[in-house]
Amino acid sequence: MSSVSRGNVKMAITALKSTKWRSLFTMLGVIIGVVSVVTVVGVGEGIKHQVGGQISQLGRDLITVRPGKLVNRGSAGGITGVNLFTNNMSGGSLNQQDLARVRQTNGVRLAVPLGLVNGTADDANGRPVSLPIVATTSDLPDVLNQSVTTGGFFAPDTTGQPYVAVLGSNAAQTLFHESAPLGRSFQFMGQTFFVQGIFNQFDTNPLSLTTDFNNAIFIPYTTAQTLTNSNTQLYEILAKPTDSKQTSTVVGAVTNTLAHAYQNQEQFTVLSQSESLAVTNNILDLLTRMIAGVAAISLLVGGIGIMDVMLVSVSERMHEVGIRKALGATNRQILEQFLIESTVLSLVGGLIGIAMSLLIDYLLRVFTSLTPVISWQAVVVATIVSFLVGIVFGSVPAIKAARKDPIDALRNE
Amino acid sequence: MGVIIELKDVSKLYGFGDATTLALDEVNLSIEQNEFVAIMGPSGCGKSTLMNIIGLLDRPTHGEYKFNTRSAAKLSSDKRAKIRRDTIGFIFQSYNLLPRLTVLENVALPLAYKGMSLARRMKLASNMLERVGLQDREYFYPSQLSGGQVQCVAIARALVNDPKLIIADEPTGNLDSASSRLVMELLGEIHKTGNTILFVTHNPELTRYANRVVYMRDGSIMQDETTVFGEVASTALKQMYSIPETTVEDDLEGVSALMKAVPQKAAERRPAPTQKKKKTSKKPARKTKARKRSART
Repeated sequence: MSSVSRGNVKMAITALKSTKWRSLFTMLGVIIGVVSVVTVVGVGEGIKHQVGGQISQLGRDLITVRPGKLVNRGSAGGITGVNLFTNNMSGGSLNQQDLARVRQTNGVRLAVPLGLVNGTADDANGRPVSLPIVATTSDLPDVLNQSVTTGGFFAPDTTGQPYVAVLGSNAAQTLFHESAPLGRSFQFMGQTFFVQGIFNQFDTNPLSLTTDFNNAIFIPYTTAQTLTNSNTQLYEILAKPTDSKQTSTVVGAVTNTLAHAYQNQEQFTVLSQSESLAVTNNILDLLTRMIAGVAAISLLVGGIGIMDVMLVSVSERMHEVGIRKALGATNRQILEQFLIESTVLSLVGGLIGIAMSLLIDYLLRVFTSLTPVISWQAVVVATIVSFLVGIVFGSVPAIKAARKDPIDALRNE
Repeated sequence: MGVIIELKDVSKLYGFGDATTLALDEVNLSIEQNEFVAIMGPSGCGKSTLMNIIGLLDRPTHGEYKFNTRSAAKLSSDKRAKIRRDTIGFIFQSYNLLPRLTVLENVALPLAYKGMSLARRMKLASNMLERVGLQDREYFYPSQLSGGQVQCVAIARALVNDPKLIIADEPTGNLDSASSRLVMELLGEIHKTGNTILFVTHNPELTRYANRVVYMRDGSIMQDETTVFGEVASTALKQMYSIPETTVEDDLEGVSALMKAVPQKAAERRPAPTQKKKKTSKKPARKTKARKRSART
């Protein structure tokens, strides 16, 4: 039997080679299916890695306070669920009192506000540039573990001074088309701002839940208060504990302080970075699974394509089936022959798909900020799935060929 | 010498209802081992159907067929496949080699289905090709050979399993006379080694090679005669030199009349034929015609 099977594999390859174009088009469905599944999973996995990298840069002890109830916590303080679809914007916003409460909480060393100021900055030519304007305080570089090597960050108290701003590295390029536009100015809300410093490049990821700091313009919180008549909304408060080992305790303390202030009407979320990571991964997993599911449908369609072509192939080769049966091939041997053919077809398609995914992975790394990670598990699963597609969708045509009466098959010219 | 083929009242019907065709009509035939039987008859007389039933490719509608003393009706399709593989060799008019396989692979194919190792089956196939004189064409594809050569390959394939019975359905039908002779000489040689050979032919000249000739018409065996090797059978000889004649009656009735006559016999066997009356009225005419024909042959 084994030598027959080996002969069948060889025969299948010969048969597929003799109809090269048809085989290629048949495989196309499986190729596209495998490429999309492997790439989507790879991109998702890559973003997870990037988020992890970003968080380790910011420091695992960074605590974020956001408005809205993003997560559910159990009695022990662990996250029991993520409210992906709650509208956390309507959950209200944080204000200066909240910042003060966080600052005064036991174990909090530093706390900085992050507020978004509406409006657009005009570049040197007076053209409006769409960049987020973030209002914050002088402790931001310390909290974010990030230094300002070009120029410096603004002082704790800027009252009485001209308006100043610090730019993210990409924002500097967008506004002034140079990497160190120190001392240059731009217009915002009718005021002139002077560039005091440029942040070093932040590690970012494409699906970051926070504002991309590389693209942001930072202005002092006091300036923002003056410009907006003390009505600057905070979208986030960042805090650092005195002892980084006590991060989770401090998270609990901040939660309690705020909960007490709001009479337990939780309108905010306090997360440590590791919890943020868990939340992000949770969301990413969900997204990846959803898209991979859609991509898997194309694999299914590819399988149906194989079935179609194999059905045509079986009808075309009915005479051959008749000859083989006359020479003594049993139904099982005929079944085996066509099953091997469809399996070879889809397996080769799967392998081509994997090769193409690796190529796409390379291109994505070169031309985009994505760094997809194709794990060996994904490759193995793709191979097994394409193998199974061949068997499942090849069985209908193979059974059709095997069951054919020898004399009917022989008459089929 | 045992009986290898035994047919008892074997009938074969094709189609349903009004379109029913009777291909074999209660055929009785018994063939012993080591016989070399030629089957002759006009096109559509049921020769091929008979070959297919004997070769276990097809099943009779009625009647009993015993192959090697075993009743064929009881065999499963897998069992039939195994018997075809181990004891029957087929040679077809249209050769039926697989075009994508080399000559050697074609000859080795029945051995592959037996589960023989690659090296062993290539060796056996090679030996067999040497026997038919084509050892230098092993790696050619069928399309690169002449008709006679292809048929020799087909014979090698039929012989490679050392089958007891060889069934050749018009093996020389597509060949010129020289190639025909080559093929028949080859079959004659094989016969000498003890195989039973059954072949269909239209050419009376080829009955020379047989030791028994069976004549068929309209699904029935009209005559069965034993002949001497090397001589054209006497009945066939007559047919050879007499100009085929058609009577005025045949011309008037045409082919359609002949076709009508055939399903009527099937209708007799079935319980409720709707047009029975009409057909029975035609019956005497047909019978006299048949008698006339048998007298002529």
